[in-house]
Amino acid sequence: MRFTISAAKPEDCKDIERMIMELAVYENMPDQVKISHKELERDGFGPNPFYHCLVAEVPEEHKSKDGNTTVGYVIFFYTYSTWKGRTVYMEDLYVMPEFRGNGIGKALLGAVAKEAKDQLCSRLQFSVLDWNKPSLDFYMAKGAEDLTAKEGWHFLRFHGMALDNLAQEAP
Amino acid sequence: MDFTIRAATLEDCKDISRMILELAEFEKVSDHVKITQRDLEQDGFSKNPFFHGIIAEVPEHLKSREGHTKVGYSLYFYMYSSWKGRAVYMEDLYVMPEFRGKGIGKALMAKVSQLGLAAGCTQLNFTVLDWNKSSLDFYLKQGCWDVTSELGYHCMRCEGEALQHLAQGEL
Repeated sequence: MRFTISAAKPEDCKDIERMIMELAVYENMPDQVKISHKELERDGFGPNPFYHCLVAEVPEEHKSKDGNTTVGYVIFFYTYSTWKGRTVYMEDLYVMPEFRGNGIGKALLGAVAKEAKDQLCSRLQFSVLDWNKPSLDFYMAKGAEDLTAKEGWHFLRFHGMALDNLAQEAP
Repeated sequence: MDFTIRAATLEDCKDISRMILELAEFEKVSDHVKITQRDLEQDGFSKNPFFHGIIAEVPEHLKSREGHTKVGYSLYFYMYSSWKGRAVYMEDLYVMPEFRGKGIGKALMAKVSQLGLAAGCTQLNFTVLDWNKSSLDFYLKQGCWDVTSELGYHCMRCEGEALQHLAQGEL
């Protein structure tokens, strides 16, 4: 199947918002999505974006059942390891189910990896839910390591009132 | 104890580099540290920095046994959640052992929270090793939650040859 991978434009944010919700539904957490295309437009474009995004598009003749030609996306941003230096974090990678098996996910992942190498990043990091076997298998087959299983790393988070309370103690 | 919390400057990179190694020794992985003082200077203090730093300093008369007045640091950067928007990631939080128990670690973390909230972030994210009970207790006591234990997210990484192959579209 023919498809293109390109940098997202502000006009793509409505499609990205749609696909973020599809991914959240798959992860059984649709009520957790609090941002819309407005925040995506504000935060992803301009001189100092919070994230970068690539979209996968198919020609009109291959559009989805619902009439969409933007069928996949990847959101990533640059981070830093105090041991290894520049790294890339891949926040989301998603291809609509009816377009899977055509190499689109692999192409999006490869494009992010290439950007990482071009920017002299030594690592590509991301997270996967432990029950998400198809994704775990996909990534492990490509040489990814599970650092939680292997080394015991846990993600921790402050949000809501706990974050507000903490901030109030700043000198 | 009398201490100040302030933004890190280029001149602080020597002490940050020293303390990064001290933290790596504590985490039993000092041979993993590949970046130098020069990398920190280039990556943290250019036009588009990969990270920001905060330093905890004590007055001269309270300096460490080895004569240091810069006794703690935190490195953080901005990231993005496709569900919640702007977030801040705390890469390192460290206080030299002889200065612990005096509120310095909490003050550093509170400062990162305050700066994050001011930038419109709704989350402060970080990782901790599961065997690091003293750190886990410290953080959980402040009201954070363990996303890995509660939701099942695993930290994943591609690096070295695996990253190279991905970038070349070979896997």
